[in-house]
Amino acid sequence: MRNEKSGKSRATAAIVMLSIASVMGLPRIAGAETVLRIGMTAADIPRTLGQPDQGFEGNRFTGLTMYDALTMWDLSSADKPSVVIPGLATEWKVDDADKKKWTFKVRPGVTFHDGSPFNADAVVWNVEKVLKQDAPQFDPSQVGVTASRMPTLASARKIDDMTVELTTKEPDSFLPINLTNLFMASPAKWQKLFDAAEGADAKAKSQAAWAAFARNASGTGPWKMSSFTPRERLELAKNENYWDKARIPKVDKMLLLPMPEASARTAALLSGQVDWIEAPSPDAVAEIKQRGFLLKTNEEPHVWPWQFSRVEGSPWNDIRVRKAANLCVDREGLKDGLLAGLMVPATGTFEPGHPWRGTPTFEIKYDKPAAQKLMQEAGYGPSKKLSVKIQTSASGSGQMLPLPMNEYLQQALAECYFDVQLDVIEWNTLFTNWRRGAKDPSANGANATNVTYAAMDPFFALVRFLQSSMAPPVSNNWGYINNPRFDELVTKARQTFDPAARDAALAELHAASVDDAAFLYVAHDVAPRAMSPKIKGFVQPKSWFVDFSPISMTP
Amino acid sequence: MFVYIARRIVYVIPIVISVALVCFLLVHITPGDPLVAILPADASQELAAQLRIAYGFDRPLPIQFGLWLWKAVNGDLGHSIATGRPVLSEVMRAVGNTVTLAIAAAMIGFTLGLLFGLIAGYFRDTWIDKVATSIAIAGVSVPHYWLGMVLVIIFSVQLNWLPAVGAGPGGSGAWGWDWEHIRYLILPAITTSVIPMGIVTRTVRALTGDILSQDFVEALRAKGLRETYVFRHVIKNAAPTAMAVMGLQLGYMLGGSILIETVFSWPGSGLLLNSAIFQRDLPLLQGTILVLALFFVFLNLMVDIAQAAIDPRIKRS
Amino acid sequence: MSISPISAISDAALQAEPATKARGYWTTVGRRIIRDKVSMTCACILIAIFLSALCASWLGLADPYQGSMIRRLRHIGTPNYPLGTDELGRDMLARLIYGGRLSLVVGILPVIFAFVIGTSLGLVAGYIGGKINTAIMRTVDVFYAFPSVLLAIAISGALGAGIVNSIVSLTIVFVPQITRVAESVTTGVRNMDFVEAARASGAGPFTIMRVHMLGNVLGPIFVYATGLISVSMILAAGLSFLGLGTKPPEPEWGLMLNTLRTAIYINPWVAALPGVMIFAVSICFNLLSDGMRSAMDIRN
Repeated sequence: MRNEKSGKSRATAAIVMLSIASVMGLPRIAGAETVLRIGMTAADIPRTLGQPDQGFEGNRFTGLTMYDALTMWDLSSADKPSVVIPGLATEWKVDDADKKKWTFKVRPGVTFHDGSPFNADAVVWNVEKVLKQDAPQFDPSQVGVTASRMPTLASARKIDDMTVELTTKEPDSFLPINLTNLFMASPAKWQKLFDAAEGADAKAKSQAAWAAFARNASGTGPWKMSSFTPRERLELAKNENYWDKARIPKVDKMLLLPMPEASARTAALLSGQVDWIEAPSPDAVAEIKQRGFLLKTNEEPHVWPWQFSRVEGSPWNDIRVRKAANLCVDREGLKDGLLAGLMVPATGTFEPGHPWRGTPTFEIKYDKPAAQKLMQEAGYGPSKKLSVKIQTSASGSGQMLPLPMNEYLQQALAECYFDVQLDVIEWNTLFTNWRRGAKDPSANGANATNVTYAAMDPFFALVRFLQSSMAPPVSNNWGYINNPRFDELVTKARQTFDPAARDAALAELHAASVDDAAFLYVAHDVAPRAMSPKIKGFVQPKSWFVDFSPISMTP
Repeated sequence: MFVYIARRIVYVIPIVISVALVCFLLVHITPGDPLVAILPADASQELAAQLRIAYGFDRPLPIQFGLWLWKAVNGDLGHSIATGRPVLSEVMRAVGNTVTLAIAAAMIGFTLGLLFGLIAGYFRDTWIDKVATSIAIAGVSVPHYWLGMVLVIIFSVQLNWLPAVGAGPGGSGAWGWDWEHIRYLILPAITTSVIPMGIVTRTVRALTGDILSQDFVEALRAKGLRETYVFRHVIKNAAPTAMAVMGLQLGYMLGGSILIETVFSWPGSGLLLNSAIFQRDLPLLQGTILVLALFFVFLNLMVDIAQAAIDPRIKRS
Repeated sequence: MSISPISAISDAALQAEPATKARGYWTTVGRRIIRDKVSMTCACILIAIFLSALCASWLGLADPYQGSMIRRLRHIGTPNYPLGTDELGRDMLARLIYGGRLSLVVGILPVIFAFVIGTSLGLVAGYIGGKINTAIMRTVDVFYAFPSVLLAIAISGALGAGIVNSIVSLTIVFVPQITRVAESVTTGVRNMDFVEAARASGAGPFTIMRVHMLGNVLGPIFVYATGLISVSMILAAGLSFLGLGTKPPEPEWGLMLNTLRTAIYINPWVAALPGVMIFAVSICFNLLSDGMRSAMDIRN
């Protein structure tokens, strides 16, 4: 009760002050800088040296803020799907004769935060930091997170100061999308730190130089590093000289604080320690709203699925069973009953409006009679239940509320003659098993697995699950899906270089996967974030990422 | 005395080496990929093998141990896999924050413990004694992480008086002993102080009671000696043991802070250990455990030497 | 977290009468404990918690695993859910009672194991002395060089989460402590007159150890070990609280405290309940251990 009252009176006071200020036309107090304080879910500040760790949350806070990539995501709209736009490259095209070669035109007039120019040399240097093992700046610690997101990129070559040629291992039309993950760090700054570094050999010096660079970063992004306390806080200041004048930040500083505990984040927001928190727990949503804070959500390119095993003997090999499962789940009930509205029901990997959605003929919705009918056709019924086993974890990044959600599915599917057993294991183990596949003993007899995935680019959203050659140990085709139609459509999409035609090919692939009920599609996360009403101008795009530039704060 | 100190220090050396070995083995017995922090699960096997070689995890364990120990002796605990930062600087900064917390907790816990212990010992078997011993027994029996949660519920959630987590508005980098920062210290320090408070109370109560029940104290009193003199006598005789207990408690607070620091997100060595465990960051994990254990060994050594200096009988044992 | 200074224990042991009078001595101790109201209250509470955990299936409780989305986080005092429900809508009363099973097992077993191992090691080291004593005690010193919380967490962190691993790590933590007490008590008793007398009358070392030493040594070690149970309960639940102990969805007090933490804004007092259980068990064991110690201390 006490909280509520003080919250209200504070809000009233703010309104009164605001109106006085506007009536009297007071100028903003000189020297009072605006600071946007954000509580992240990460346990540590994501790495600051260019290639962040901590998944896409890392890219959101220490990648896209301080750095730019050759290609970028359009984050300006809450309604339209977020698509790839020019970044530090103004244009690009694939070589007509050799589809493995691309030329990228570098944006002129861009400088790093340290004042050194951004040019073709810088692009080559940044490609080689993760791909050329004998380059002085090669850093094994950045390879994992980078190379796996651009699996086909092989090398870079300077053509002239403003033009770069990139080569892929095989023709790959996804390259421009993958390149959103390669952030451009300043070679000049790094070289200076390398020269000053102490170490027994070049390798030790290089490691020391990267450690120093992480403390004193330099990119081309709209935000500059202004102070950094590892594991506690990262302070960014606006870059007045950002090349895209429209995206020069409106607040002076942004403060990033790691707060892995959902309850601790909520406490920090409610007590005014921060202005914005990522992912409040669904349980706290009512309290947050009641105290006058804003809750922002939007559909995210994320899928919460059951990924079916298609190895011999799996019950999911029958398409009627796969379709029945998809029709038997009341996703709206899940959304309102359990997740306090913090999800979007999934009817595929991409929802209508997305360029890669296509037009599937199988409509995923809640239709219990149809589901029961399909199951009966497949030979099951109230007296003959189909036993299935799902491997899942009790927690994990992107898993939302895995146990309650799976228990919900268990109850829902029981109505359609499924007998669902849950094999609950530790998150890291689940993730490792995901790579080992359904045939591995670690699957423990499960015929579906429940690992959520990001659907930002076509490789991660579709190809790695649907292409037969992506079966373990190569990639994440956990269930050994082997569908010649999928393989054919993947190859077609990869080798279609006109962006619109490529999108159409991907849409065709996606529609085919929905029609085949390749997954049990359950939910998309909505990237919930709660913020103080002082924050204005924030747009939450349909993306894992956010543009902090247009945000302003009323005092 | 000098010989005793020298002998104790020589005796500590094999312990230190064994402690290092235990740290190393503990961390390396775990199955699982040491590179999980920087290697996404969707990375190719080829990439994983390449990185394992780059980090030296392909070498035999004895060689890895030898290299690590040699570097550690030279003041280099390697680099964290997840962050690439030198382990030693990470650990030392975190230990600094833990020391801040431990000092604050010690001030609260030891003061209250001495006070309650003396009062209880003086007024043995009265209601005052009963109250003080009850507080002490509650202090040693309470799950302190739960107490931390309860304090957060009361003072942060319900009353909104004190911040729930963190180490100040500017993080520990900008720590200062002013109200703006001390606000953040209060709840974790109280939580940390309950166990030492309980133990010091019990120790001091027992000591005081024993000293007061000695025959010659009775005799002194009978002679009409002033109570202040008796009190001084009690303090003088209780001090060595009480100090030794407090020294050890300080060691436990430094080394065992993980639960409380996790509850309050206090950026100390315990929180560092927590993230090292869950990120499977081997160099950071073994470095943190080693530094904390060495702190404890060192503190034990100091306590032993201090005790021997005060009470010569100990040297013989 | 070592609660009782070792010296106090060995002093108590040295006060003990020779083994010949042991029977009368233990009867007195027993009578004194029964007359101690605090100890008896604690014993009753502990027995009640033990029995209810043991017989949980026959108490007509709700299913501790069965959740429901519509009845999540009910407050204390809700009809049918006297202690409310947890974040998955499971009955808190049932989970607290069922949770006693794992919590007590994981809290007490390590002390029992450590008691057996530590007493054997300490007896051997104390009685035989010499090189064997050095070998055992120096090894013990290495583990003693770690603060117990740090050691428990380091071992569990290395072994990975799980009930068995928690028990193993806590046993390793307590063995050195009990070994030290056992060794110091044994050494003290070994040099006492009545042992010398037995040796002179031609009794073999094994007989001496069994008859004379165990009787006079075991008591103090036992008291020390009961004091450790409270530490062990707190640590075991602490491991689960960090995510290094029991795995969901098993009911266990430490883990329940962990998973309910996100609910402290909606239902703070339900979230605090598992801690009350840990606290209650821990304080009862501590008071009981205190009661036994003072009952055994003839001087009082």
